[in-house]
Amino acid sequence: MTAPPSRPAGVGRRVILCGGLLGGGLVAGAAGASAGWALTGSADPAPASASPGIPPDDDLMREHGVLKRVLLCYREMTSRIQAGGQVGAADLHDAALIIHDYIEGFHEGLEEGFVFPRLRKDPAVAGTVTTLLVQHARGRVLTQFLLAQATAGGMNSGGTRTQLAAAMQAFVRMYEPHEAREDTVIFPAFRRVVPAQEFADLGQHFADLERQQFGHDEFGPMVDRVAGIERRLGIYDLSQFTPEVGPFSPSA
Amino acid sequence: MLAAVPLAVAAGCASPVATGQPAAGGTSGAKGTEVTVTTRSLPGVGTVLVTGKGYALYMFEPDRRRAVTCTGVCAGTWPPLMLPAGAALAAGPGVKASLLGSDPAPGGGRVVTYGGWPLYTYTGDVEPGQATGQAIDLNGGEWYVLRPSGTPLEPGP
Repeated sequence: MTAPPSRPAGVGRRVILCGGLLGGGLVAGAAGASAGWALTGSADPAPASASPGIPPDDDLMREHGVLKRVLLCYREMTSRIQAGGQVGAADLHDAALIIHDYIEGFHEGLEEGFVFPRLRKDPAVAGTVTTLLVQHARGRVLTQFLLAQATAGGMNSGGTRTQLAAAMQAFVRMYEPHEAREDTVIFPAFRRVVPAQEFADLGQHFADLERQQFGHDEFGPMVDRVAGIERRLGIYDLSQFTPEVGPFSPSA
Repeated sequence: MLAAVPLAVAAGCASPVATGQPAAGGTSGAKGTEVTVTTRSLPGVGTVLVTGKGYALYMFEPDRRRAVTCTGVCAGTWPPLMLPAGAALAAGPGVKASLLGSDPAPGGGRVVTYGGWPLYTYTGDVEPGQATGQAIDLNGGEWYVLRPSGTPLEPGP
């Protein structure tokens, strides 16, 4: 990444971000410090990225795209279970593992470390932030259950199948409005409060953190993984969701 | 409640500044301040370590009682309990002062430890008196609250 002209020689992005977060008037106290920790708390420096990162809100929203596709898989699996059909334990387990590793173990950490603390003092969204944090915690409990029970034995037990379907249904019910609210309210608010240069640097830093955690940009591999589950479920072909419409009659 | 969101504190920034983490029980980092670790009986887990403001404190299994390993994105979800420069550690009722200590944080500063375990709060605990992170497997390992003896509250067989 090319350093901004104003950046002193030898001062890395992380220091700039720390200064911005801790010294900026927008994030007094611990809120900024939370991000400061996340920015600097690695024993091993993240490798430099070859290309500029995408804006942090775009990055978070494309991760929401992965989440949406897992929700689609959960919805399909739930329908099959409720209809008495078969669902592969390995597919359910892998879908839950994508949520566990990529959404809960990475994406939500970015939100909790960088986004939410910046909005704590905004009375318009503070209550929403608290609800989102509670939902992250509840989602993790549901995911733990899914990971533990998505076994061949579990899929052959009527009681467990019912519980798995209920857990997936609850997860979908919670996360559809959750991510929609983040996309339409929280991320725009985040963009409003973070200075432009710092916002751009954060995008780069999100990319660096992704490489630090996964060794590479994990978005593409995650998309491939969820696409594989969709294929096995027979819901990959997008055209199947296109409705047949005849002459439209609002009163019909 | 807005003020209830647990927050991390600074570590390793250009000018390491300990901040007023609600969960830390201390005030902003400066000489003469204290970070208090105390105990409280919480629903579902019994008496465990908490911050001075009542937020549950957790240990992370991969730390192995040796070092702070929850860094980067992990620390966004599990803010470590930092010991600000110049601040003192205080043992509340039920806490063994001899088990309190601190470890260097990878990014700078120090993290409070108990019986060798680095201590963390959890963003899912939005109010004091909760332990919603108990027995969660996340960010590469399992998280448990700690008894005043220093023993993690791991589920039985």
